[in-house]
Amino acid sequence: MGEIIRVENLHKSFHSLHVLKGINFKVNKGEIVSVIGPSGSGKSTLLRCLNHLEVADKGSISFEGNYIAKSDTTGKAVYKSNKEVLAICSNLGMVFQNFNLFPHKSVLQNIMEAPIMVKGKSKEEAEAKAVELLDKVGLLEKKDAYPNQLSGGQKQRVAIARALAMEPEIMLFDEPTSALDPELIGEVLQVIKQLAEERMTMIIVTHEMSFAREISDRVIFMDDGQIVVDGVPDDIFVNPEHPRIKTFLNKVL
Amino acid sequence: MDNLTSISLFILQGAVISLKIYVVTFIFAIPLGMLCAVGKLTKFAPLKWLLEVYTWLFRGTPLLLQLFFVYFGLPFIGVRFTAEIAAYITFIINYGAYFTEIFRAGIQSIDKGQYEAAKALGMNYKLTMRRIIIPQAVKVILPPTGNEAVNLIKDTALCSAITLADILRNAKSMVSSHASVEGYFIAAILYLIMTFIIINVFKYIERRFTYYN
Repeated sequence: MGEIIRVENLHKSFHSLHVLKGINFKVNKGEIVSVIGPSGSGKSTLLRCLNHLEVADKGSISFEGNYIAKSDTTGKAVYKSNKEVLAICSNLGMVFQNFNLFPHKSVLQNIMEAPIMVKGKSKEEAEAKAVELLDKVGLLEKKDAYPNQLSGGQKQRVAIARALAMEPEIMLFDEPTSALDPELIGEVLQVIKQLAEERMTMIIVTHEMSFAREISDRVIFMDDGQIVVDGVPDDIFVNPEHPRIKTFLNKVL
Repeated sequence: MDNLTSISLFILQGAVISLKIYVVTFIFAIPLGMLCAVGKLTKFAPLKWLLEVYTWLFRGTPLLLQLFFVYFGLPFIGVRFTAEIAAYITFIINYGAYFTEIFRAGIQSIDKGQYEAAKALGMNYKLTMRRIIIPQAVKVILPPTGNEAVNLIKDTALCSAITLADILRNAKSMVSSHASVEGYFIAAILYLIMTFIIINVFKYIERRFTYYN
């Protein structure tokens, strides 16, 4: 299977805080990878580096073999032009912890905006796709509602539909259920599960351990800016050899 | 009664220049403020610095002084405007400075997540501003813009100090020539009518933006 994302020796600091300390991993087409680990371990920063919401300091990031950033001889990450990076990154769908729906646009308009304005699709084509996606996430009857009229779970399902409307090669989920009331988490996980069944390539940063275990082909455990273990779910959840994983799982399970 | 009618008509003639200044200022100061606000938000330091000086200078000195400077002061360095043109220039630049700050604050009030969501969907900066950020900023800037719109109608009275026969100047001359106070009452009523209309226009526009939070 083809490789979609490859990350090599990625470093990122915020001022004096060294958040990512040399990350290496890759994701193949159709793979579902969960990233878990303690708060502040760099999970979200890693995800945000993949689609250029954060700028890496060192290392390389490539998408389907095209470098977004490539390390030069000193290791410094050298990015392509903003335009090229934006074009490549539009193949990566992103779902945020805080939804970030556009409040001044209806549910349907939220989903149609980028296909029309970025991909140049016709209004009819974009609307047909949006309706199809809303039906898929079970929110067709909310198509004319505005985001403030939706529950958190509904907002996140719309956000997923909005990302899917761009027909991404891979979906990135940045703690998609962390801002939700407990009773609303299930409906969002259900939609992600449905995508998993369709073999959508996904990287999911999450605190939902049982979900990560159930859905993932691979689980990456991060701690202190490094990948401690990158393996099948059982490596982490059944036979955790590494003491840091044991400590973490004891806290969260 | 005849007296009152003629006083009123004379003062009403002054409303022409007041309204002209009002409309011209609004039409030009708003786009000027938008451009400068976007300029202030760029990463280009010299432009930011220049705009900082601009807003400080024109918000930091009296509008009356600016009017005097342009109309009475500039002729000494060979730049002459008619009183009307001097008023237009000064009001546009002065109000442009206020609008710059209002619009800048409005744009900055929009959550960073909105930029990130737009970027993640492949939207470039220009598209993001035009489709996502500015439409939301408009809602934020409407109330302070309405405030300025009310201030502006009253500030037009300052143009009487550079010889323009506006509402206030005509009222004052009626008061002197008729030796009676009515002229000021009539001027006050005219200002109140105009501000009433402006306040309600802005209320109407603000209501049209309540469809989302």
